[in-house]
Formats: sequence, structure tokens, C-alpha cells
Amino acid sequence: MDYRDTAEEAEFRASLREWLSTTIPAGWDKIEDEDEAVRLRKEWHRTLYRAGYMGLSWPEEYGGRGLSPVYDGILNEECGNLNAPPLPSVGYIGRAIFMYAGEEQKRRFLPPLLSGEVSWCQGFSEPEAGSDLASLRTTARLDDDHYVVNGQKMWTSGGQYADWCLLLARTDPDAPKHKGISAFLVSMTEPGVTCRPIVIASGEAETAEVFWDDVRIPVDQRLGAPGEGWRIAMTTVTYERGPADIGFIANYRRTLRKVEALAAERGLLDLPETRKALARAYVRGEVLRLNCMEQLSMRVSGRPPGPEGSVAKLLWADAEQSLQHLAMDILGADEMTGVADGWLSSYFTSRPVSVYGGSAQIQKNIIARMLDMPR
Amino acid sequence: MLALLSDEQQMLKEVAAQLAGSAGPANPGDLRTLDRDAAWRSLAQSGLLALRTRDDGRPAGSGVEVAVVAEALGAGLVPVPYLGSAVLATELLALAGAHDEAEALAEGTARTGVLLDRDLSALAVLPGDQTVYGWDVDGAADALALTAVPGGHQVVRVSLATGFTAANGADLTRTLLRSDGPIDAAALTPVGGPLSDEHLRRWEALALTALSADTVGVMRSAVARAVAYTKERVQYGVLIGSFQAVQHMCAEAYVQAEAAASAVNYAAWAVDELDPDEALLAARTAKVQCATVAREVTETVMQVFGGIGQTYEHIAHVHTRRALTDRQVLGDEGVHLLRIADVRLTGE
Repeated sequence: MDYRDTAEEAEFRASLREWLSTTIPAGWDKIEDEDEAVRLRKEWHRTLYRAGYMGLSWPEEYGGRGLSPVYDGILNEECGNLNAPPLPSVGYIGRAIFMYAGEEQKRRFLPPLLSGEVSWCQGFSEPEAGSDLASLRTTARLDDDHYVVNGQKMWTSGGQYADWCLLLARTDPDAPKHKGISAFLVSMTEPGVTCRPIVIASGEAETAEVFWDDVRIPVDQRLGAPGEGWRIAMTTVTYERGPADIGFIANYRRTLRKVEALAAERGLLDLPETRKALARAYVRGEVLRLNCMEQLSMRVSGRPPGPEGSVAKLLWADAEQSLQHLAMDILGADEMTGVADGWLSSYFTSRPVSVYGGSAQIQKNIIARMLDMPR
Repeated sequence: MLALLSDEQQMLKEVAAQLAGSAGPANPGDLRTLDRDAAWRSLAQSGLLALRTRDDGRPAGSGVEVAVVAEALGAGLVPVPYLGSAVLATELLALAGAHDEAEALAEGTARTGVLLDRDLSALAVLPGDQTVYGWDVDGAADALALTAVPGGHQVVRVSLATGFTAANGADLTRTLLRSDGPIDAAALTPVGGPLSDEHLRRWEALALTALSADTVGVMRSAVARAVAYTKERVQYGVLIGSFQAVQHMCAEAYVQAEAAASAVNYAAWAVDELDPDEALLAARTAKVQCATVAREVTETVMQVFGGIGQTYEHIAHVHTRRALTDRQVLGDEGVHLLRIADVRLTGE
């Protein structure tokens, strides 16, 4: 057991830190305009890629560095420490592609995903298929060398800015519901794709709904075998829940620092209750980080991610939402009168953390199954 | 970075689990009949009491090994003073350079406990006329406390033979003695050399971590017992584990216990690998997490067991009592949150 960096890891961390300190765009977190913010995120993706920091744990043949997943964790951690823009989450889409795609598809799709030339979204949920994802109704009917897709997707985060979509659709209406689904790689510019932003409770267009009307997809853009869609989707969400592919620890630490500053500005640091609450938020973040380090270690030692990801997902949602409660308690009325700009939005943004990527209740079902509780 | 037990540590975990499995109660009634001395002898023979004795100045076993054993004994609710004698007292003696005394404890022939102040939150500093408790002193003739000396503290030995009476301790698996004082200077026998503040921070880091590991064991085995029960208990014609309400209770308790374990693993590693301040911060973090969830997890377990889980004959409350006592010993979450805040918010 060793939580310290190896010599190689320490060297990587040091040079990353130096690079970040001279490269992070000043004032990136003060940008109000959403389009401008998206442009900056894409630019940051390309900057990371050019410096060799994208796909650290990806195989070299697909543009990665072939390093252990520990390096993803280090990147995540340092970006949080130095207040860098959010890391692009290419991990889970990439995972689906290099686990299930044919060689030609890998060469076609992985490099531009990694470089940030092409951005992706995930077309899984539907109005009538949320937690019960396998009941999805969007159909893909085979018509010669194309599939013709019809249906509606929801909660397609980043759909309005994405170039491509990892889409689930029913290819065999007669098969049992988990068996009749296939996965596709589809350009969002195809005729018949219409994307409408969904404004969440914060007032911001955080996600989107996408309508698919007779969209034609070449057969060679099916990912995996017909009927393999469910398995691909489960792999994807498992990695989405996993520790290193999503920058949640970095984000959490950054927000905690802001909340601490908020308490200081308001002269609340002498109150034992405030001090305890801030320390508790620190403990939650540490527990989350340490749990993720253990999962990362299991991954490094060759174990594929499993239901332990559900533990981290639940811890993350709880930490994130509790931190927003703490900010709300510190700000008091100012969060409701518009004086403390942005915090109400952050609060509402923390609410769906226990819904997306499998709701908290679904995660608990997964854990109950892992505990082998009766069905 | 590799945050996993090594193969040797994994083996130790299995040995400790095996030992603990046969030495702990299946029912509270077993606490009257268990052969505690036999359990202590087998711990001594396996070398598990010697982990904090020093070998060329280095501990024979790291904080990780201590935590592995403490967790196993917690999981088995084993009624032996491993924490009191083999960890808390032995580490104090070793830090003070009283190596012969530490060795005697490791052999299992002598046992020594610790004296805690009235709210159990710290080692007692004597002489004084305040109430003190001898905690986890089963079979111990004496217990260790501190006395202030210029530039630090001195470890002192206090006989438990006079002035101490059995306290009505909540934890049925540990012996708690009480003295309402006074304990005067003549009753204190200095052991070893003086301890610096750094020594005491190191000691506290190990002590908090070992206690937290015990709590993790208590919680994990309690959750495992509850989950097993949901697979046998039938109501409305079905196993109660098939009800989602019950599944979610168990899942929540499981998540909390696992989260606590993650914090403890890191603290255990930090004990001997990081500087005392960092090790202590990690230990406080683990203690906060364990103390915070211990009550809820063990209460959930009692709830899953339903009516039978509320009775004295059932094992559930033995878990609860041990976890709740662990929570108080050397400070509950409130105490350690404030200390963490001092580090985080004022850089102390």
C-alpha cells in the first residue's frame, strides 16, 4: 500500500503542474456568455491534447499515452488544485468505442474524439425511458445498407454543441427488451436530427432533447453487433460512474475553496458551527477522493470497474449536494435576493447529480444486487 | 500510487479474521462464557500483540497492519483489550523508549490499559482530583496516563488495584473502570523518557486510526449480519430482502461503512509514512467519518432485524454499543471537526 506518487508519477505531476501554471487561461471562470464558455472549453480540450494530456491511459495506437489510469487521477487532481477549466470527459465514450468498435471505426472516431476536433454526446434516455432505460422506444429499422432512425431522446447533455452522438435504438422490436437494442455512432448534422435545449431549474440550458426523424445511418456506423447495445450502454455508464473519467473531485475541491472564502468574507469563521460544517465538507471530499483512489488502484491492478462505482456515485452526489446546502446556509437570504450571484444556479446544478448516470435509487438497487439480496 | 493491501497484508487480514471469528460472540450470552484468555494467548502467539514494539527503532508492524488486526477484532466483537493494551499502551511505551515494558505486553503475560479523562476525549493528565476512566483494561493490573514535565509530558503508570471501581460501561466487550480521584503524585510511576508534542501527535494518529478501524469492523460485520438476515426472514410470504425499502437501507449502510473504510485505510498508511501533522489530519478525517456514521449504520442494522433486533438477547446492540463507545473515545466527530477546521481555515 502506498498513496504516494512513484518517481515517474511525481515527475509527471511536477511537469504537469508547471505546465498548468503557465497555461490556464486567466479569468476563464468569470465568462458569463454560454457560447463563449463552450468555445473556451473546446479550446482548452485542444490545448490539453496538444500538450499530450488527453487520453493518458488510452492505448498508444489510438493516440493515447498508454499510461496507467493513475495518471488520469493525477491530471484530475492537479487541474482541481490549480483551478483549471473542467476536464473534457472523453473517457466513457472512448471506452465504449475501443471496447466494442471494429478496427476501422476506432481509427476513424478515436483520434478526433481525443483531440477535441469532434465533440460527442450520449443519446440514451427518452421521455418514457429514464431509469428503465431498456424500455427505450427509438427505433432503427434496417433499410438495405442503412438504418433509419425515428424517435426522441432526452437529457442529451451537450447535445446542442456536439458533433456526434453515441445513440441507442431498438433494432429488434420482437426480442426481449434488453436484447433488441443496438448502439450507433451518428453525426448530429444528419438531416432529420433536431436538437432543442432543455432549460433546467437553474435557468440554464444544461442539457437537450433530440428528435430523430427518418435519420439515415450507414450500417458501418453501428457500434458492436446488433443487439449488443445494452451491454455497451452498461459499460459506458459504469465508466461514467467511475473515479478518474469524470472531473468531479477537482470540481468539488474548487467549490469547497469558494465556500470557505465565502464564509471568510462574511466573517463567519469564528462560529464553531460554521467551522464544523466546513470541516465536514472537507471530510466528505477526502472520503470521496480516497474511495476513488482505491477504485483506481483496483483498476490499475486489472480489475474492471464494477458496482463499487455506485458507492462513489452516491458519495459524490451526497458531497456535492451537501456542499451546496452549506453555501446556502452561509449566504442566507443573499442567495434568494440575487445578491450572491451564481450560487442559486450552482445549487440547482447540484440537484441532478443524484439523477443522471443512474439515479441514487438505481445505484442502491445495484448495490443491493451486489450484496446478493433477493430479487 | 497503489491504495491496496499488499499480499502479506492480505494474508494478515485472513489470519486475523480467522482468529477473530472463533473468539467473538455470536450472541450476547456468549460474552459470559467466551475464553478471553485463550483468545489473548493466540493473539500473542501469532505475534499480533507485538506490532508496535520497536525493532531497531522501527515499529515491527505499520499502522496498516494494526488497522487490519483492529478491524478484524472489531468485526468479530472480540472482547479482548487489543486497542487498550497492544496499541494505545504499547505505542506510548515504545515512544517513551520503554522497550522492555512494551515487550512484556507483546508477550501477552502482562496487560496495561490507558486512563482517559472524564469525557473519554483524551489521555488523562495527572495528578489531579478529577474523574478518570481506565478504558479497555480487561486483565490489566495498571494503566498509563501522562504527567506534565518541562518541555513535554512523561508517561506514568497507575495501579488499577486501588481507587478504581467497575463503571457501568455501554460497551459489553471492553472493561471500563472509574476513579473519582484524587490520584496524587505518589500514585504515579514514571515509565521511560519524556514525550515531545510530536510524539504525542504520532501517538494520537495511531490511536485514532486503530479506533476507527475497530469501528469499521464493527459496522461491516453488522451490515453483513443484517444483509444475511434479509435472505432468511420471510414476511408476506417473501424474503424481506426482496423489498426495495429494505434493500436501500442496507445499501446506504453499506456505502457508509465502505466510505469509512476508505478513510481509515489512508489514515493507517499515513501513521508511519507521513509527517505527524499530516498523519494526524488523516486520522482525524477517519475518526470524523467513522464517528459520524457509526450510529446510523448500527441503528439501521437494528431496524433491519426488526423486533428481535431490539432485544437484549440479540447481537445487534453489541455492535451498536461498541461502535457508540468507539465514537466517544479520544473525541467524537465534533471534537475532531474543530481541529480539522483549525488546520484548514487558519493554517494552524
